[in-house]
Amino acid sequence: MSAPLSAYEGIVGSAVIRQLRQLGEKLAGTRIVHVNSTREGGGVAEILEWMTPLMAELGLQASWEVVHGTGRFFEITKSIHNGLQGHHVPISGKDWKLYEDVIAGNFQRLRPVLEEADIVVAHDPQPAYLLKLCERRKGKWIWRAHIDISRPFHPVWKVIRSIAGAYDASIFSMAEFAQTLPHPQFLVPPSIDPLSEKNRDLDPSEIEAVRGEFGLDPSRPLLVQISRFDRFKDPVGVIEAYRMVRKVAPVQLVLAGGGATDDPEGKAVLDDVMEAAGGDPDIHVLLLPPDSHRTVNALQRLADVIVQKSTREGFGLTVTEGMWKGKPVVGGDVGGIRLQVVNHHTGFLVNTPEGAAHRIRYLLHHRDRITGMGKVAREFVREHFLLTRHLREYLTLMLVIARGGRERLIEV
Amino acid sequence: MTPFEVKDCALLVRMSGLSPAANLRELRERIAVCSENVLFHHYCETTLRTTFDNPDYRNDFAVWAKLYLGDRVLAERLGILDPYAFRSLEELRAVTLEVIDERLGEALMVPWARPGDEFFFMEATTVVFDAGFRIAQPSRLGAFIRKMTNGSVYFHFLEARRRPPFGVDDFTAWLMENEETNRPYIRALSSVDFYFHSLPHLRRELARVLAEAKGPK
Repeated sequence: MSAPLSAYEGIVGSAVIRQLRQLGEKLAGTRIVHVNSTREGGGVAEILEWMTPLMAELGLQASWEVVHGTGRFFEITKSIHNGLQGHHVPISGKDWKLYEDVIAGNFQRLRPVLEEADIVVAHDPQPAYLLKLCERRKGKWIWRAHIDISRPFHPVWKVIRSIAGAYDASIFSMAEFAQTLPHPQFLVPPSIDPLSEKNRDLDPSEIEAVRGEFGLDPSRPLLVQISRFDRFKDPVGVIEAYRMVRKVAPVQLVLAGGGATDDPEGKAVLDDVMEAAGGDPDIHVLLLPPDSHRTVNALQRLADVIVQKSTREGFGLTVTEGMWKGKPVVGGDVGGIRLQVVNHHTGFLVNTPEGAAHRIRYLLHHRDRITGMGKVAREFVREHFLLTRHLREYLTLMLVIARGGRERLIEV
Repeated sequence: MTPFEVKDCALLVRMSGLSPAANLRELRERIAVCSENVLFHHYCETTLRTTFDNPDYRNDFAVWAKLYLGDRVLAERLGILDPYAFRSLEELRAVTLEVIDERLGEALMVPWARPGDEFFFMEATTVVFDAGFRIAQPSRLGAFIRKMTNGSVYFHFLEARRRPPFGVDDFTAWLMENEETNRPYIRALSSVDFYFHSLPHLRRELARVLAEAKGPK
């Protein structure tokens, strides 16, 4: 359950909250429906968990719907997801048919709410096909792509483009992720909720309890990567980097991630990670339940350096979370991590396990840099990447869509 | 004096539809044909846009030249251009193209960016709305500015310069209603080298110079 808007005043200031209320007044009563494919696990569900109630608090009629599916359906949508991110995944005609059939079943359930909505936001490819079925829609439909589709596997993109292209607009997290589509393409970076269980301040005793629970040694530096067990997050590459650092510094590594109901590939990746860890007692591979937000929070606060060595990434909210906790990030030079991590400023961008090891060693030998970069990182997140900015951009987008056109300035 | 009506604004960025530029020649070609909104966005709206960086330069062309073309000479020449000093965006476009042409003439090869580092042309819509408060006394202006959002500071102090009366911010235009009495405040506002500040810094700076102009209580 997210906090009321007033609870954020102490973090972002009253002017920012007042601004949101004023924008909300202009949209009072607007029926907005968000649709995605999972209620828990992954960044999208976390965003919708706070966005829906805050939009409702501002006077909009906001709701959040989830498409349901079989295990096979989620295997196919995972392949679509991977294909859009450039992985060569063949999807047969039969699989596409199953995808459409499952969405058609969901459509029957969601039909009344979708037909009546003023705005529908379909998040990622999983629910995108709903638009094709909703012939009697009244409102504007927006496709929200959270992932990097700049270099997709063409056969997959060809199908998704034919679906997404029919939307009234799309939203990408950054220009570098976008594909050309025949409608306005807006840019809205995601954000984090500073009061969520995953990001709120924790009592030191709770942080220490987590340290104890996982047997982490308080006297030695800790590297933490939080992410789903996904090949694009390169957890095995992180272990390689750890081993290189370990030769000269007594570090410990935590690789922690949850499973998500729409990610059947995670188990296979986890097996590979366990094999790579090879029983090293200082490598802590933690498969956490989806509601382990406070544990993740504590692990990030315990870290000396946050690692996010992805080889493909959407925006990379775990990076933002780490920075909010005042930690420098050693991140893969890809996707949204490039936007967030500025070399020598908020962390380091790396391309290889060797690069990650080099930067981690640098930081461990310059403890003052860890503190300094962490402070800078936290202030950047406060200014630009908290949910209040994200919410403001969604409200602005709704006003712009309602008006249409491409004017530079509109008064409402 | 009529009370000052405080507005607020929020920016929404979109892709312009122009293909990304992978080298300096392509950048030049696109700048030559892009809409004024695109030019305005990359020169003027960068302060209001979401960013993780606090770059050396305030316009995107200079930042790209430095970070992705690796051309510091070009970055410096573009970085010093103050868009608010030009009467029209067409003048700004002409000067920008001149700087790039000069650099293309000097270069032995066309500077290029690696794949993924192309320049993406964007534009934005600014939604303006009533912030819900009015300022009645010039002596209170600084205190009000201190509490304004980045959007209000941007709209009244920066964006205003592209609206008539050209080159004048909204605060100054209001203070000019009683120019003689408000001269210390007008002078204080004109002393701020605004183009190189981030909006939070600009807000603090405006409040500071106005407080100084007001003098001790």
